[in-house]
Amino acid sequence: MVFFATASLYLVLVSELQKSTDLFLADKVNVLRTMLRERPDDWDALREEVELESAARRYEQFYICLLDERNKPLLMTPGMAEQLDLPQFASRTQNHPDRAIGMTGTLGRAFRVTSTSAPVGSQAGRTYAIQVAIDVSQKAALLARYRFWFWVILLATFAILPLFGYRIARHGIRPVEEMATTARHISSTNLQERILPEGYPFELASLASTFNQMLDRLEESFERISRFSADIAHDLRTPVNNIRGEAEVALARARSADEYRDVIESCLEEAVRLSDLIGDLLFLARAESPLANLRREPVDVGELLGGVREYYEASAADGGVSLTTAVADEPVIAELDRTLLQRAVGNLVSNALAHTPPGGAVVLGMGVDSGVDYSDRDLSNPESSSICIEVSDTGVGIPAESLPRVFDRFFRVDSSRAQASGGTGLGLAIVQSIMLLHGGTIEISSQPGQGTRVTLRMPAVSTPSCAR
Amino acid sequence: MRILVVEDEAKTAKFLQKGLGEAGFVVDVAGDGLDGLHLAQELEFDLVILDVMLPGLDGWQVLSRLREEGRRALVLFLTARDAVHERVRGFDLGADDYLVKPFAFSELLARVRSLLRRGPLREQEKFRLADLEIDLLRHRATRAGQRLELTSKEFLLLSLLARRSGEVLSRTLIAEAVWDMNFDSDTNVVDVNVRRLRSKVDDPFPLKLIHTVRGAGYVLESD
Repeated sequence: MVFFATASLYLVLVSELQKSTDLFLADKVNVLRTMLRERPDDWDALREEVELESAARRYEQFYICLLDERNKPLLMTPGMAEQLDLPQFASRTQNHPDRAIGMTGTLGRAFRVTSTSAPVGSQAGRTYAIQVAIDVSQKAALLARYRFWFWVILLATFAILPLFGYRIARHGIRPVEEMATTARHISSTNLQERILPEGYPFELASLASTFNQMLDRLEESFERISRFSADIAHDLRTPVNNIRGEAEVALARARSADEYRDVIESCLEEAVRLSDLIGDLLFLARAESPLANLRREPVDVGELLGGVREYYEASAADGGVSLTTAVADEPVIAELDRTLLQRAVGNLVSNALAHTPPGGAVVLGMGVDSGVDYSDRDLSNPESSSICIEVSDTGVGIPAESLPRVFDRFFRVDSSRAQASGGTGLGLAIVQSIMLLHGGTIEISSQPGQGTRVTLRMPAVSTPSCAR
Repeated sequence: MRILVVEDEAKTAKFLQKGLGEAGFVVDVAGDGLDGLHLAQELEFDLVILDVMLPGLDGWQVLSRLREEGRRALVLFLTARDAVHERVRGFDLGADDYLVKPFAFSELLARVRSLLRRGPLREQEKFRLADLEIDLLRHRATRAGQRLELTSKEFLLLSLLARRSGEVLSRTLIAEAVWDMNFDSDTNVVDVNVRRLRSKVDDPFPLKLIHTVRGAGYVLESD
């Protein structure tokens, strides 16, 4: 850029200087030509023009030589012979009549020279030659200085600009560098570190806050995982501890066959508990893997709810709780994984029964939302509807502060109570992952002392690619 | 009937041998894949119980070598990894059934019996045990001549126990057969239902027929 700007300025300057010099020469030639034609015998005027005017100039001195037909000088500016090689002058300008050309003088000075023939007097026949030379060495020196500065500026630019650019880039990148440093420091043990978003330009502040939000989520996940690990260790340790302790105590002395049988049976119960826990954990792990696939088949949802109700009927009657279904008259058929859905609804009913005191009620309801939650799909398409299944009870309810955590693995609202009931604390987590597998959602609302309502909502048909 | 157990975990092999032996089978044990393959090549077995993760040759290799040689012995494989593709692979290689560890021994016994088609499955119309009589066609059960008032599910449960009397049925199996609940559900529910059935079938009578096997399940027998 700089190079082109400077270079073109230089070229313009060169051509302008040359043009003004050439105009001056042409002007001089014109004056002489006119004088020769109009007043060929006014030698005083010619001499004044040729010898004095030129000699008076100090700056941009010019020289004029007037030659007759035989190339014999008639008039000449004093000093011209010393400055210029006259025969060379004549031969060089012969090829370019009426045009100015560059020429180097005998003393090394730069000249623009021109020569032309001029008719003398009004009648034809006699012609003189006019030779004009102008010393342009000052202009040449000016251009040389100009060229010098041109290179100086150019080199300086080349040297300084990258440095400058580097400084600017460094300055701009510094916040990013700071963020990178923070990011490098962060490991699972100090996830609480954050970038202060103040003092950054808008774009970077947004990046910083996005980064912070990501850290928030990571920290939460890590907390969840470490809580999960602690819980899993506890839940695995308890049955193992029971097996170990009971076996040790039993073997410490000789016992009756009945006593041994009792210990072995108890160990077996603990082992079953462990197996169930492992089974549930494996189920959750599998459901999370992207390879998890559903075995979808047409399922009559009302019939499925009826089956679950039948299964839990005796338990409900035992607990003095009424268990009923509120099912639409016409069958609702949807493409679902029957076993998984049974399991989801079963877990919800089991929870509801466990937390509903005698005299209460548990209701299994269902409905079809036509396209409300899936508005991006074609509304006229009946397949865009979603199935919703609701399990509500009149039980003890869940305190508001515990609600967000009920889907966490091993979370128990009342840990001491739930431990006795034998649940693994994975029930709702399993229901949630079953809903995720179906592309659905789970919602829970609860009023302590009034009851809890869990709503499962899932598309009646899987995404088109899966349904085919 | 002769069964080969190929299992590197010594305790598992030991309890399998003991349990299957006591159930009336002749059991041989191999501790790794190569021994297992040699035994299976030299002797005729009706069933091979094959662990997948074995030193030497793994279960898949043993299975495919056996099938290449045209051995038609039934194969039930045991796996600790319950992934769908593992199951599919097993069946592709010619396995007949599989069980995921940890499994209930009663479950294994049931699978083995059904594979060898010698389980105490009685497809008759009437069943009799001590003074209990069940008419499977007319959905009627009596004890000591007295009609038992059972709900349809209770009748299903009783007839399941009766058809497989003497066999311990796990809660999972019962939930599956009677209520079509195909998952390890809240097994308390089965206990409640068995308790209700007992109150009608056993409580009024001195001779108890439905027995709890702690940690395993329920069995119908008159011991």
